[in-house]
Amino acid sequence: MTRNAPLLAALATLLLAAPAIAHDDAANPTHTVTGPADGYAFALAAPGTYSLPRIRPAADALLLDEFGAAHHLARLFRDRITVMAFMYTRCGNICPVAAMRMTDLQALAGEMPEVAGKLQLVSVSFDPAHDTPARMGEYARHLRADDARPPRWLFLTAPDEETIEPVLDAYDQPVMAKANPADPSGPYSHLLRVMLIDDAGQVRNIYSADFLDPRLVLNDVLTLIGGTSPAARTRQGDPRQ
Amino acid sequence: MFRKHANAWLLATVSATAIAASATAPALADETCQSPYMAKITGEEEFVYVWTLGMDGVGDGSDKVVTVDVRSGSPTFGQVIDVDSVGGQHEAHHGGLTDDRRHFWVQGLDTSMIWIFDIATDPANPKLVRTIDDFVEKSGGVVGPHGAYALPGRMMISGLSNTDGTGRTGLVEYTNDGEYIATHWMPTAEEPRGAENAAKADGYGYDARVLPRRNVMLTSSFTGLDNYMRPLGEVVNDPEAMKAFGGTMVLWDFHARTPRKVFEVPGVPLEIRWAWGENNNYAFTTTALTSEIWLIHEDENQEWHARKVGEVGDPSKMPLPVDISLSADDSTLFVDSFMDGMTRIYDVTDPFAPKLIHEKKIGAQVNMVSQSWDGERVYYTSSLLANWDKTGADNEQFLKAYDWTGKELVPRFEIDFLAEGLGRPHLMRFGSRDLYGS
Repeated sequence: MTRNAPLLAALATLLLAAPAIAHDDAANPTHTVTGPADGYAFALAAPGTYSLPRIRPAADALLLDEFGAAHHLARLFRDRITVMAFMYTRCGNICPVAAMRMTDLQALAGEMPEVAGKLQLVSVSFDPAHDTPARMGEYARHLRADDARPPRWLFLTAPDEETIEPVLDAYDQPVMAKANPADPSGPYSHLLRVMLIDDAGQVRNIYSADFLDPRLVLNDVLTLIGGTSPAARTRQGDPRQ
Repeated sequence: MFRKHANAWLLATVSATAIAASATAPALADETCQSPYMAKITGEEEFVYVWTLGMDGVGDGSDKVVTVDVRSGSPTFGQVIDVDSVGGQHEAHHGGLTDDRRHFWVQGLDTSMIWIFDIATDPANPKLVRTIDDFVEKSGGVVGPHGAYALPGRMMISGLSNTDGTGRTGLVEYTNDGEYIATHWMPTAEEPRGAENAAKADGYGYDARVLPRRNVMLTSSFTGLDNYMRPLGEVVNDPEAMKAFGGTMVLWDFHARTPRKVFEVPGVPLEIRWAWGENNNYAFTTTALTSEIWLIHEDENQEWHARKVGEVGDPSKMPLPVDISLSADDSTLFVDSFMDGMTRIYDVTDPFAPKLIHEKKIGAQVNMVSQSWDGERVYYTSSLLANWDKTGADNEQFLKAYDWTGKELVPRFEIDFLAEGLGRPHLMRFGSRDLYGS
C-alpha cells in the first residue's frame, strides 16, 4: 500500500464508474464524459456567446514541480490559458472528483488542436508537509495521460506551509484543518475552487463542483481563445450602451 | 487559512452525485435560506446578526449591525452583545454572507452604500473592514443594492432601481473582498436579450437565487426607488405609482448569465426559495400585492412553468406577504405577512397544494423569518421599510425567537429594539465560532 492509498482507492472507484475514455483518433473526438452539465436545464451556451469578465489578477508564487524545480506561477500563466485547482493528495472527499474531471478535460482538450497547445492544467497542493514533489509525481502518474500530447498538466507544491498560506489567501481559497486529523476523508476541509486564468494572468471564472464539467470548461476556454473583449462586454444588457 | 476546526463543514454545492455521497457530515443547524454555495455549520447557531435601520430619536439614530447571543446556557443568552453603527440612515435592508462565511455584506437601499464586516476573526464582535461607496458608478447606474448572494469567491448583488429612480435594474457581481466584476441588466421587452416571452419582461428586480445542479438562476421583481422611499400610504393611493411594480420572474442560464424565460407572476413576487431535495426542481415565492403562493417548477418534459398554488390569508384585505422560509427537508413553508403581523406555516410536502398547519400573530407588524437548518428554532424581525412601517403604537420593532415543535411556536426570547435604543430590525444571518475553529 502506498501512502496515497485512500486517494487512489477513491480515484479508482470514480474512474471505474465513469465511461471508458478512448485515445484512438484525435481528428474525431471519441471521449465520452459525464458530468454535472448532463443535469443542466439548458444546453451549454456556445463559446463566444457570453462573456467572462475579469474577476481578479492571478497572484504569483514560487512553487515546486514534481521534480523539485521552482517555477513562478506568473511565468507559467504567460501565453497560455490555465485551469488551476487547489487540492491535496490525502483528500478522500472532493479532490478525487475534481481530479476525474481534470482527467476528462485533459483528454477532451487533447482531441482539439485549437485548444490543446494553448491550454494547461495545474494542480497545486495546499498540504506541502505531505505532498512533496515526489509524492505529487506519484499522484500525477495516476492521473495524467500516458501519452505526451498536450495539453500539459503540471503538479505543483510548496516547500512549506509558510509559502502556500499567502497563495491561498491571494486566491481566496479557504482551507481548514479538521479537529480529527485522522478523519478517513482527509485532515482538511476546503471549498472546491478551480480557477480559469487567461493568458494575461487574470482569473476569468471560478468553478464549484456543479460547474466543473470539462465540456463547460472547454467552452469557456474557447470563449477566451476567441478573443472577445471582456471590457466591452462586461455590462451585459446595459441600457446606456 | 489553516485553522483548527471543531466541527466538520458540509461542503457547499454538494448536489453533484458523487460529491454528495462523500460529503463530510450532515448539516445539523443553519438558516435554510442561504446560498447553496455557502459553507454550512454543525451544532446550534451561536449568534444572530441583525441589520438594523436607524430611527431618529432612537439611540444614535444610525443604521447598525446588532449581534445577539443565542447560545443556550450563555449568561447573555437572548441579549444584544455587540452593536456596530455605520453612521447615518441609508435604508438598511438586506445583505448576506460570503461563501466562506468570513464576511457579512450589508447594504443601504437609499444611498446604495455597502459595508463589509469581518465576522470570522471574532464572531461575537463583527468588525467593519470595507465600505463601498461607488456602487452606482461602478455598476453603470444600478441603484438600491438589495440581496447579497454568495457565489464561489464572489457576491451577486441584486439591485432594485437605477439612476432615474424607476424599477429597471440589474445584478452586480463583486469579488468576496469587494472588487467590482460585472453588471447584468434585467431583460425588458425592448432589450429581451434572447429570453422567451420577453414581451412581458418589465426589468424589475428583487431576489436572485441559483439552483446549481440545473444551472439556472431565478430572479423576482419589486419597484424602484421613487416608490420604495415614499410613504406606503401615498403609494397605494397613487394609481400611477401602483403601476410601477413588477409582475414577472426570470429564469436564467446561470453560467452564461443569460435570461432564458420570463414568467408572468402578477402582484410583485419577492423572496425566492429553491427546494433543497436533489430531485426537487422547484422554487416558491409569494406575491406581495395579491397575497398568493406561486411555484416555479420544471415538468416531466423539462419545461419550466410558474403556477399559483395557494393564497395567504384573505387577499382582499391585502395582508402583504413579505418574507418566506422553506425548511431544509422541503416539507414546511413559513410565510410572514406584514400588515396583519401573522406568520402562517404550510405543509408543502405536495408543493402544488400547500396546506395551512399553523398560524400565529407575531406582532402588530412582522417582516423577516429565519429558521435553523433542523427547523427547530425560528427568528422574526419587524421592519419592512422606514416609510412603510406602521406608526404610533403599531410601530413595534423587535426580534422574537421561538421553538418550532412541528405544531406550534413556543416563545424563547424577544428583544424590544426601540427600548434598547437600536432601531428597525430587518435582515438576520446566523453565526458560529465553530465555522472558524477554536
